[in-house]
Parts: sequence; C-alpha cells; structure tokens
Amino acid sequence: MTSIDQDRAAVSTCGPGLLSRVMIGLASGALDGLVNIIIFGVFAILILLPLGLVLIQAFMPALFDPLQPRATIDAASIARTFGAPRLMTAITNSLLLAGCVAVTATSLGAGYAFILHRTNVPFRSLLSTVPWLVFLTPAYLKAMAWTLLMAHDGYFSQIGLVPEALSNIFFGPAGLVFLHTLNLFPLPYFVIGRALAGLGSEFEDAARLAGARLGRVWIRINLPLLAPAFALCVVAVFAEVLSDFGLASTIARQSGFGLLTYSIYVAASAYPVDFALAGCQALILLLMVVTLVLADQLLRRQAAVRLISARSRPARAYSLGPARWVLAAFAFAIAMLALCLPLAAVIARALSRTLSAGLVRDNITLEFVRAAVNPGNPNNQALMRSLAFAGIAATAAATIAVLLALRLERGSRFMRPAVLGISLGAVAIPGIVLGFGYILVWNRIPLLRDLPFPRYGHASLLVMGYTGAALPYCLVIMMSALGQLAPNLTEAARLHGAGWLRRTQRIVLPLVAFSLVTALLSTFIRTMFELPMSELLVPVDGPAAPSVLVQLFGKDDEGMGSALSLMAMIVVAVVSAAIWITARYVAAQSRAVTAPAVSVLASARPEGVTM
Amino acid sequence: MVFAENLSRRAVVACAVAGFACLLAPAAASADDLVIYHAVDFAATVVKAFTAKTGIPVKLVEPGGTGELLGKIAAEGDNPQFDLVWVDGSAVMERMLNDKILQPIPNAIIASADYNEVGKKLVPASHSFLPTSVSTTSITVNTKKVPADKMPKSFADLANPAFVGFVGSKDPNLSGPSFQFVAGIFQVMGEEKGKAYLQSVLTNKKISGFASGGGLNKSILTGDAKVSFAQDSSTYAKIANGEPLAIVYPAEGVVALPSGIGLSAKTKNADLAAKFMAFVLSKDGLAAMQDGDDTDYFLAPVIKGIEAKKGRATDINYIFLDPAAAAAKEADWKKWYRDNFVP
Repeated sequence: MTSIDQDRAAVSTCGPGLLSRVMIGLASGALDGLVNIIIFGVFAILILLPLGLVLIQAFMPALFDPLQPRATIDAASIARTFGAPRLMTAITNSLLLAGCVAVTATSLGAGYAFILHRTNVPFRSLLSTVPWLVFLTPAYLKAMAWTLLMAHDGYFSQIGLVPEALSNIFFGPAGLVFLHTLNLFPLPYFVIGRALAGLGSEFEDAARLAGARLGRVWIRINLPLLAPAFALCVVAVFAEVLSDFGLASTIARQSGFGLLTYSIYVAASAYPVDFALAGCQALILLLMVVTLVLADQLLRRQAAVRLISARSRPARAYSLGPARWVLAAFAFAIAMLALCLPLAAVIARALSRTLSAGLVRDNITLEFVRAAVNPGNPNNQALMRSLAFAGIAATAAATIAVLLALRLERGSRFMRPAVLGISLGAVAIPGIVLGFGYILVWNRIPLLRDLPFPRYGHASLLVMGYTGAALPYCLVIMMSALGQLAPNLTEAARLHGAGWLRRTQRIVLPLVAFSLVTALLSTFIRTMFELPMSELLVPVDGPAAPSVLVQLFGKDDEGMGSALSLMAMIVVAVVSAAIWITARYVAAQSRAVTAPAVSVLASARPEGVTM
Repeated sequence: MVFAENLSRRAVVACAVAGFACLLAPAAASADDLVIYHAVDFAATVVKAFTAKTGIPVKLVEPGGTGELLGKIAAEGDNPQFDLVWVDGSAVMERMLNDKILQPIPNAIIASADYNEVGKKLVPASHSFLPTSVSTTSITVNTKKVPADKMPKSFADLANPAFVGFVGSKDPNLSGPSFQFVAGIFQVMGEEKGKAYLQSVLTNKKISGFASGGGLNKSILTGDAKVSFAQDSSTYAKIANGEPLAIVYPAEGVVALPSGIGLSAKTKNADLAAKFMAFVLSKDGLAAMQDGDDTDYFLAPVIKGIEAKKGRATDINYIFLDPAAAAAKEADWKKWYRDNFVP
C-alpha cells in the first residue's frame, strides 16, 4: 500500500458514511493527480520540451527551416553525422576523458571528504571552505588562468618554472584530466561528505566490538554502504565532464583534443545553424549518460541504502598523531592547485597592462581594478542584474526540485529512475542546446510565442532558462538527500496520525535542510557564471554578467575581464557566505525544538518497521 | 519544527516574490524600441551618440561573438526579434537575405551615403547590407619570435619551414572575418589551389581553429604561434596597447572585410532603422566609431573625407569578394575547414 493509499485509509476510518468516504477519496485522488500534473508539467516545460525540440531535429532537420518548415524525417543527417570521422574521434575522446575524470575526481573528492570528516586534521574549518571556493570559480575562468600560467610564454615560463616540454604535456589529455579533477572534486566531496556524516560510526563500532579490524570494517561495511554515493558521484562527474564547455573550448581545443560539446558549439554557432548535426550530437551525449544511469541501476538492483535515521550520530574522527600534518599538507596542496594558483594568475592579469611584458613594475597598473569597482561602470550593472536573476532562479529551482523529489519519493519504481536518468542526461547536455530549445519553444511555436510571460527577449525567459538549466542539479541533490532518509522516521509519525504535509514539513524538510541550502547556494553560484543561457537568451534590456565577462575575454580584454571576474567572485562569495551563515543560525535556533520532537516520533517505532 | 515551518513559509513567500519580480521586470522591447543585434565593439558608443542627438532609445543586444550572434538569429528563424543587425562579413548577409531574414537596404539610404572608392566597391548588388567600415585579414607577426629580416612578405612565404607549425588562424565557422578570408583565398587562388595552400600552412590544429580573436591573439602573444591570419584592426589595437606585434599586408593583396548593417525583413521600425543608418554614416556617427581603443575602433572608414584612426594604414591592395558566390559555397567551405583544421 502506498502512503497515499494509507492516508486515504486513515481518513476512511473516521468518515461518517460510505458516500462521504468515496467523495473524500475521489477528491483526494483528483487533487493528488492535479498536483502531479502541475509538478511534472513544470519539469516538462523547463527541460523536456526545449530539449526534445533540439533532439528531434536529428531526424527532422527542416522542422524550423525559415523558408519551408516541414516535419519530414530525413535519416541522411544521422548517416552524415556518423560518417564524419571527426565525430567518432570526438565521441571517443569525450568518453575517455569523462571516464578518467569520473574516477580521479571521485577519488580525490572522497579522499578530501574522508580527511575532513573522519580525521583530526588541523585547520579543518579553513580547509572545508576550499571546495566551496573552487565550486564558485567558473571553469572557463580557471581554464583561462591555467592558460596564462602554462602557455609557452605564460607566467610560469617567464619565471623559468615550466619548460616547454611540460607546457606541451599540459596542453594535452593529461592536462585536461588534471584540470577537470581539480575543478570537479568538490561535487563528490559534497555528496560523499554528506554520506559519511549520515553513516556515523555505529556500524563501525559494532563491527570493531565483534573483533573486526579497521581495514576490514571499511571494506566490508563502510564502503558498501557508501557505494550508492560513490556511484552517484561517478555518474554525476561523468555527466559534468561530458557537458563541460569551459575546458572543451579552451584547453581541449588548444590541445587538439576534439570533444563533443565543442563540436556541438561549432555546429550551433553559425548561420545557418546545422541543427541536424547539433541535434545528433546532443542525442549521442544524452544516450551516453542515460545508458550509464541505467547500467548503474541494473548493476545495483538492491534497494538504496538509507543512511540517515533517527539514531544517526556524528562519526568519531580518527586520531592520527603526526600523520595528520601530512594529510593537512596534502589538502593544502590541493587548495593551492585548485584555487590559489588560478586566482593568483587572474589577480596578476588584472594588475598587468599586457600579458607578454610579464610581472615587471612598468607593466603593473590599477586601471582595470579601478574600473571594475567603479559603480558607474556599465559592466557592474550586469553584475547586479545577475545577482537578482541568480537569486530568483536558485529559489525557483530549489523549490521545484524539493516538490518534485518529494513526489518522486512516493512515485512508482519506474518514475524515479526515469526522472533521475533524464536529469543526469540533462546535466550532460551543454547549456547551448537547452538555450536553443528555449528560443525554439518561446519564439517559434505559435501560441507559446504570443504569451505575455515568459517572453523571449525578456528577463523572465532568461530566469526561466537558468531555472531549467539548474533544475537537474537541484533534483539530483534533493533526490540523493531524500534517498538517505530511513523510512521509519516518517512511518512512526504516520502511525501517530500525522498527514503527509505535516510529516514533510516537520520531519523530512528539517532533515534535508542542509541539502536544500546546498541546492540553493550551488544554483545561485552556478547561475552567476552560467554562460550559454546568458548569451542566447540575453534580455534586450541588458546582459547578465557571464556574457559580459566572456565577451571581454573573447575580445582579448583580459585585464578588464580578470578584474571584473574577481569582483564577481568576491560578490558571490560574500552573498553565499551570508546565506550560509543565516541558514546555520536559523538551523541552530530551531534545532533545540526540532531534534527532541524527531526523536520522540522515531522512538515510537512500531513493530515490523525496520531501519 | 519551527525551522521547517519557517522554511516552508519562506519558500512560498520566496516563490511569490520571484514570480512577481519576473512579471514586474521591464517589458520586452515594444514596437517603438529599435532593437539592434551586433558583434562590433563600437555599437554602444555609436548608439549613445545617436540617442544623445535624436532622443531615440535603442536596445542593444550582443549575445557573444559573431558565431553566437548568427546562431541566435538562426534559432529565431522566421520570427526575428531584431530590427537591425551589425556584423563583419558580406556572405552571411547575402544568405540571410536569401532566407528572407533580411530585406534589401532601401535605395535611398545607400544613395545618400557619400562612399569613397573602397566603400562603393563594398556595396552589394543585392543591397543585402549597408557597408559602414572596412578591415581585412592580414598577417600578424610576433616581433619577438620573428626577426625583422625574416618577416614574411607574402602569403606564400608562410610555407617557409621557419613558420611550419606556427601559423595561427580562426575557425570560419565561428568567425565572420575568418570566413571572408578563406572565401577570399579561394576566390583569388581558385578553390583547389586555395585548399592546397591552406593545408600547406595550417599544419598545427592546436592553433588553426580559434573561436575568437581573443584566443588567436593570446596564442601569438604567448608564442604558441609566430604568425597568424588575423583581422588587422585587432592587431592595431594590440600594437597601440604596447604588444610586440607587426602587420604585414601580403603582396598578393588582401580580401576586404566590410562591417555592415542588415535590415530585418520583419521590422516594425523601418523609419527608426533608416534614421539610425543615416546617423551611422554621418560625421557624428563616424566619429563615434573611432572613439575607443578596442579592435573595431581601428576599422578603416568607407566615407569620403574621413580619416582613419591614427596609426592604421588605409592604402591597402584590397581584393573584393563576390558575396553571392561565397554565400553559395559557404556551408561546404566551412565544413571543409572544420574537418581539416578544427580539433
């Protein structure tokens, strides 16, 4: 019996008569159906429809022909796509790169999470901010920074640190794996760190009491329990690398290492757009990720392990003695490579008149920094605009993701993996494809293009696009968080007569509040630097910050671009920190009230409900 | 529980505020607002001068480089949202005219422009666009990497072993100037010989498919490339900024690259558009086009009696592209370039 049925059954026991009971049941069912339609309708409009309109052009390339639009199927475009040798190279390269980085970034993120969550490493607070700071620095900026550092006449070469041979190696597959790993390790760090926190050390303690050695405990108990989190990280990082455009268009392109996303970008940035080619390649990307998600589901046929229960306690940290300093050094080395060096390069460029003159006194200038902090600078208006857009999009995406994830928790066995698969697939689709889909939906389809809201060319559609682009990420975070909750928590409350809404409000949401704030903040940060939507859906009333930044770099105005990027990162860091501190404060204020209530509800665990 | 309830209430309030904020945001361009899509540096300066003089507000949209702009126009298809489009390159304007995205520039507007000799030759027979300035793709040389006595003098010199693997270029799929250059090479040398020439000099894929002038400039400034096929105005801007670069106009001649304005086939602001085009080619408009330091401010004027920005050459041996012929082969040539020179 589903929880909805159980609710209805509970209602039926106190109803006055059969007819009333039937009426209430029908009304409840209808309302439930309506809510489902609205929530899944929003998902369809934000993601499925725009994505579908681009993908379908792989088969119907003349669907939006400006002179003679026609819905005739033309398989020739698919044959042409697969016939091109460069495409097969791009597919192979993308798969190899994504596969390698999925392993390296997950390993690094897991290692970093272990060090911070389970050891007595010094400077823990400082080190725990590093993944967030890495996360808020956009990939295209880090790519630009590493290019400044590692190019033949770049900063490292100027001070004799990097010989030409090493520079050549860097601008190749090895450099790409290196940069992607440093760029993406925060994602597995967040997911595995959260799983480690939920896991606690009770199972471990029990096993140790039974005589198991530490290594065996980790191999036989902890790692299998953490396996779903690892699998999610591997799939998510794989999808992230496949969809990456920041490194694909800079380091990878300079390395002669063709990737699918760049190939899609080339097909879609021309007049006329090769929609057939772009659609085919996007379809290939989507199939790659969906196949991986399905394979993961098939390989792990057992039910997901629920780690957060009413009895979860914080895990003990291992006391490591002098070895903790070695771990601290390792963590600081990661911080140096992933954050400090790229930031130093951006700062150096923001303070240099030209790149080739290097870091000499005559070449130092404050001209760009002064311009970046001048409130009258039109570029700063774009920054303010982006702050508002990102705030609205983050709130909308996190809210929709929570509602959708809650519905999916109660949904069919098919629905959850299907939505998860589409979401992860959408993560792998480059933003440029989704952006095109939005233009097609809201500027080409009769009726939709005539609606007053959202409207193409208006800020409302850009915010909607940001929300659509962020929704899959938020959904994955929220589904992962909800998937960690042991069912006994809500079962106990249900048996005490608490309805679905009350259970959700008083038990589920407080327990996933951390993930909700994570989803909100990560969307806010990503949106501040989201590029393809910002470019394609640029409002006529003024651009968002990312398109201004990239235009500055594209026009070789790196000094101004670097200064403005620094300004943007500082603003984002301050706003994010303020939200985070506020959320922690509110959580701390309410924990005293919430925690006993949750444990009272859970302690009333009925017979037959197991953890 | 308090937190959960607060959270829930806040979520509702936040959603409501978000919805209202979107609804109350400034409305999309009305029929009275002139909307210009562009990929030229000086558009904002010119528009500012235009609005100051006429009081007519203009909405400027710059989605990215030329590639992103054209992609956006292609996606908008038969429902274009711009009144005017201002970009480099003539063949793409011809294609948009053929696809009825653009309409011909009215005779009266073209007739009123006092073009110089170069300008007259840039006016297309189809009137697909209004030429506003001109530049070209020349050879840019890193003077730290190439000694003065080894400077190339012609396109043919780039096949010299000293330059093998060090010739940079942009991807014509993403760059209007680059397509104009490739089409010009094919027009002058013939398609087969032109292809053979490019294959003999663009031997390093790492530096032969840049998406933008920024990437190409960086490659030559960091020494990855010693020479490059670059828009001369971009190199003038770098030289003015103190970078160690030089420009060589090859002996064979260089293809003229017009910047021009196209008129949307669906514009509802034809009168305002005409006023703007007239202003661009007026003394005030032309002065605004040189009032800055970025690449496009170094474009050469096409109007009689207007001097170029200090330091830029104008006495150039131009070759003029047949935009209709280039437009007809555009898709094939771009694909060929992508298959051969883009990673």
